[in-house]
Amino acid sequence: MRYVGWTILIAFWVSFGAFLHYTLPQRDVVRIVNTYEERQELGDWTRMFWSRPDEQTDALINRDVQFIQGLRDNGKPMVYRNEDTGWSWPPYFKFDTANLYTEANDSVSTRAAPEWYLVTHYGWRNEFLSIFPNAISIRPLEGPDASKGIPWINIIILTLLAAFFYAIWVRWRRFRRARIDPKLEEMQDSWQSAGDAVQERRGRVRRWLDTWRSK
Amino acid sequence: MALVRLLFIAFVVLSVIYLSLSLYSRAKARDRLEAEWDEGDFDIPRKSYVRAGLAEYDSSLRRKLILGVYIVPMSIVVLIIYLVNFA
Repeated sequence: MRYVGWTILIAFWVSFGAFLHYTLPQRDVVRIVNTYEERQELGDWTRMFWSRPDEQTDALINRDVQFIQGLRDNGKPMVYRNEDTGWSWPPYFKFDTANLYTEANDSVSTRAAPEWYLVTHYGWRNEFLSIFPNAISIRPLEGPDASKGIPWINIIILTLLAAFFYAIWVRWRRFRRARIDPKLEEMQDSWQSAGDAVQERRGRVRRWLDTWRSK
Repeated sequence: MALVRLLFIAFVVLSVIYLSLSLYSRAKARDRLEAEWDEGDFDIPRKSYVRAGLAEYDSSLRRKLILGVYIVPMSIVVLIIYLVNFA
């Protein structure tokens, strides 16, 4: 029973952490290599890793998606999709996909004369599922080692969430101590006294049986 | 339609929060007034003291501040839209 509880607890926190890691903004320093548009099949379960920019796209099983190709300082490639989030989840309210595409095209640089950009994005890149993080905005940087800035939004959101869960936890503990623990003790006590009574009665029956036994 | 859905869900959720908060805050105000009457000695009866105090509470700034439940999230959404698309 203890293991079941721990398993559920760990599974909950791991999925919650994964959800936050997917949803909260992250920043990469990349050199933008190219942009392209490709028709994507959206008819399977990985649909949830693509946006729903407007109502029409809900019905489509494939459509064109814009991509921004980047290379990090360490030479590793990073490909972003560029989609409106619209009014749906996650709440980035991104409507300027076409503008971002224009900026990205304007920011393309070569290996010989690299220009570095800070790409704010959310989501994951996974080669097996063919999913891509969604770029939110790009900003020029002085170099690959320039500061990414302090992630204020993440700090604020995570602090508020921690405060929220701590508040719930404290109230739950207080509630358990005041209401549930005494009840459990009461139940335990009554079980014990019930057990004693049964023992007592059994003893009496045994004594009565013993009177029939030949001595 | 996505906007309508968002507004609808936000309205329902925020209304639940708004209602609970205003009921809680009014109950708190009542408790405070009753405690005040019990402490001091007033010429008027307890009931009318509490009623007058609650009428004052109803037109107070504190009660109107609860409208922030609607205003703050709306402002945050507007701020996000500005920062993501136009900044």
